[in-house]
Amino acid sequence: MSSVDVASRPQRTASLVWRGLTRSPSGFIGACIALAVMAFAFIGPLVIDSTNPSNGDKIWTGPSAEHWLGTNHQGKDTLIKLIMGGAEPLLVGFMAAFIAVGVAAVVGSLAGYLRGPVDTVALQITDIALTVPGIVLMLVITAMYRQISATTVGIIIGLTTWPVLMRSIRAQVMSLREREFIEAAKLQNLGTLRIVFTEILPNMAGYIFINFILAINNAIYALVGMYLLGLLPSTADNWGLMIQESWATSAYKDPDAFLYIFMPLAMIIIFQIGLVTMTRSLEQALNPRLREH
Amino acid sequence: MADDQPIMSVRDLQINYRTGKRSEVVAVRGIDFDLYPGQSMALVGESGCGKTTLGLGLLKLLPRMGYVPQGEIVFRRKDGNTANILTMDKEELRRFRWSEAAMVFQGAMNAFNPVQRIGDHFTDTLQDHANSKQRWTKKDIAERSEELLRMVRLEPGRVLPSFPHELSGGMKQRALIALALALNPQVLVLDEPTTALDLLTQRSIVEELHRLRAELGFSMIFITHDLGLAAELADRVSTMYAGRIIETGTADDIFYNPKHPYTEGLIKAVLPVAGDLPELASIPGSPPSLATLPAGCAFNPRCSYAQDDCRSTTPPLEPLVDRESDLSHRTACLHSHRINFSREVIASA
Amino acid sequence: MAIPAQAPPADEVVADPVPPPKRRRSILARIWGVYAIRRIVYALSIVWLVTTGTFFMIRAMPGDPVEVLAGKLSMSGLTMDVARVRAEQALAWDPNANIFVQYFEYMGNLLRGDFGMVIGLHNTSVLDHIMKYLPWTLFSVGLGVVIAILLGMGIGMIMAYYRNGVFDHIMSAVASTLSAVPNYLGAMALILIGSTWLGLFDFWDMRGRISIGVEPGFTAEFIGDALYHAILPLITYAFTITGGWMLVMKASTTEVLGEDYVTVARARGLKGRRIGMSYVGRNSILPLIPQVALAIGTLVGGAVIVEKILFYPGIGELLIGSITTRDYPVIQGVVLILTCAVIFTNLLVDLLNSWIDPRIRKEGTST
Repeated sequence: MSSVDVASRPQRTASLVWRGLTRSPSGFIGACIALAVMAFAFIGPLVIDSTNPSNGDKIWTGPSAEHWLGTNHQGKDTLIKLIMGGAEPLLVGFMAAFIAVGVAAVVGSLAGYLRGPVDTVALQITDIALTVPGIVLMLVITAMYRQISATTVGIIIGLTTWPVLMRSIRAQVMSLREREFIEAAKLQNLGTLRIVFTEILPNMAGYIFINFILAINNAIYALVGMYLLGLLPSTADNWGLMIQESWATSAYKDPDAFLYIFMPLAMIIIFQIGLVTMTRSLEQALNPRLREH
Repeated sequence: MADDQPIMSVRDLQINYRTGKRSEVVAVRGIDFDLYPGQSMALVGESGCGKTTLGLGLLKLLPRMGYVPQGEIVFRRKDGNTANILTMDKEELRRFRWSEAAMVFQGAMNAFNPVQRIGDHFTDTLQDHANSKQRWTKKDIAERSEELLRMVRLEPGRVLPSFPHELSGGMKQRALIALALALNPQVLVLDEPTTALDLLTQRSIVEELHRLRAELGFSMIFITHDLGLAAELADRVSTMYAGRIIETGTADDIFYNPKHPYTEGLIKAVLPVAGDLPELASIPGSPPSLATLPAGCAFNPRCSYAQDDCRSTTPPLEPLVDRESDLSHRTACLHSHRINFSREVIASA
Repeated sequence: MAIPAQAPPADEVVADPVPPPKRRRSILARIWGVYAIRRIVYALSIVWLVTTGTFFMIRAMPGDPVEVLAGKLSMSGLTMDVARVRAEQALAWDPNANIFVQYFEYMGNLLRGDFGMVIGLHNTSVLDHIMKYLPWTLFSVGLGVVIAILLGMGIGMIMAYYRNGVFDHIMSAVASTLSAVPNYLGAMALILIGSTWLGLFDFWDMRGRISIGVEPGFTAEFIGDALYHAILPLITYAFTITGGWMLVMKASTTEVLGEDYVTVARARGLKGRRIGMSYVGRNSILPLIPQVALAIGTLVGGAVIVEKILFYPGIGELLIGSITTRDYPVIQGVVLILTCAVIFTNLLVDLLNSWIDPRIRKEGTST
């Protein structure tokens, strides 16, 4: 029915993504790093024994045979905290990114495809949204609520960061819409929504995927930032909190506390580096192909 | 300046391109010619034959990947001394460029700095060539710029304060020619000077070049695939194929008495504007990739005169008619004597 | 105007691609036609929109200044009811008036330059209060951006000139890594490793924006001290951006180096320095300028976080504090000023862009 075989499209994107990741050593390593961190954070808690009692005798001890990474200010084992603490920030980050990309894709593609008044309005909104620094907006909303769940924060982040992505998606759509297969679809009288969602967006799948990864980065940046500002009290184990509670109590002065603060920090940084390296490699693989479609 | 001495002598010039970490391609080889004062020489050939590379190489303007493994380009400067362009040091080369030999590039569309006005280009060029013998004041620069623009029939008041994107293609080409003549070079190299322009503008540029040559007397090497242009402007023509010069001679030699199968094929493929309609014939096949040249004469796969010896020996450029000032008719074909050029008229004018 | 010695023949007339303007338009139309004015009006309307939005949004959220103030007052033994009455009196406006009345009152004051009074502080106008913090943030963020620009562009250009050399490969990896690290986390890592572990510097000493006992003023002591305390924030801001820009500048410069006009410039025998600056430099920077605006926008947001962890009292601290105490005028003032800062910077960058790139100039001023 459509000019490009729908069934083969996801396959093509998948093979493109694979090609993008394997073409350069740094891209591949980046992907491995990101996956490793995710495994650590998601699979780790399932594998280990998560009991982690407080122990008043062992406040801020350094690494030892029993506690590989030492203990924290409550005497709890750092390593266990580290393993348990990744799931929440990563999940919320994914969710925020998903929302952001989702909204950006819909708004951006409709604006880019329809042009005219729809486009103008969308651009105006985006312009305004871009003027207020996103974090300030997030701050104001988040700080107003005492008991706010991480999930809600994720939604808020998603809703405040979509404008940035919308711009680039719109630009991509505008260039795709001039292609012949869109002409063909229009001639077949497929409706606007149909064309946008079954023809244009799937062809941009790779591009959207890259934006998604970048959105994860931005979301984690904002999320951990919120934690560090002390705006998100959470009872669950959480990398952001580990850093925040230490920093707020000036534990950074204590060399024994080093690992407790540094490890979650390092995990986040490594994860981000992995994602970005992966993205660069993907970009190079996917972009020229998009033009050939 | 003695007219019996060449102004530029090229000997055994070869230009290579690095195409990868370990691979190279020979773009141009075995180039020998002498250019005499006031001569106008056309370098003719299809795309990819190496003529642009040769043009760039003459002023050592090759891109990063290109280099000259052997050969010499000896230039006789205004002060009478000779120097090999390829062995000049950086500063000497910088001073040499534009003041002794200048180049007008293909498609003047992008030859100017988009963020600077045309007048600034003249100022930059003149100032950077100032020395103890020639100092330029603002007034001098203004006068000289206006003079140059008027030479190419552009209005200085309109062109000098403009940015490149505010000028039309034809205006830019003329301005580029004016800029090229700013320091009174002895040699002007032009790469496809009219290709990117419409027919009418092409005509006017050609007439400008005629006029300027007559007035200023510089020697000209111009690179083109347009035989008509070559016929108009050139005293002598050299045809290139697969990086070599395969025939050279006066314009009459080449157009009325070609002695190389390729040259013959080129002429036969072109329609004359006026007169009887001759038979048209294109050359079968396409030019070889420089990385995988055929053995022997590079043209042999497409040549209707080819024999066994063409596949084993690369023919050297041999003179058929010897003349002075390097106007000899030379050809690189083992069987040139079998070529008798004639064109069948299939419709009379 | 010089008259050519010989009039060019008729077929030589070259058409002028930029036609002269036709007739005079009405005054209003001409004013609107000036690009700069259009932009300013547009910017002002956004400011208005944001201010209004903030006004209503914060009042829609839980908590209000009366409750907070009353809570504090009741600590000193007053009952909540009495405390509330006192709190309401302490406000510079009537919190029980209709919300739209409050809104128009606020906007009216705003137009006169009155941002309101800080709740809880005696006789301090919001504007004055903000001005105690804002310059520090502007200073650190601004200087950080300038350093990032100079470093990023400079190194990027060198990388392009010596493409595929050792320097290029090393710096590419460095830049890639740097641009991925969230700036505040990088700063913390720096502090942990440099100060806590290796003892290379004393973070405790570097907190705050000025050492105790140093008098503000244009003295070398003050400026030096301010810079000392600003080092960590500066590094943090410059950090991530430099990485990204090195790569973009390298890409841009590489593209420019391949352009015809650079080859022509070499052919013209121009001096290397001139080519590097006027031909390569100016053209390479062009695509980066819009990115500067974007970067400043994200930086300002991140500044709040950075200031908190580096204990650098700037507008971030003010914002968080005022949100906690529901100090509406201060919140609105800060958001307004931050928005204005971003808009202003965008405007500056736009103007800079059109100054450097003459092609934009013409488009912008067209009818």
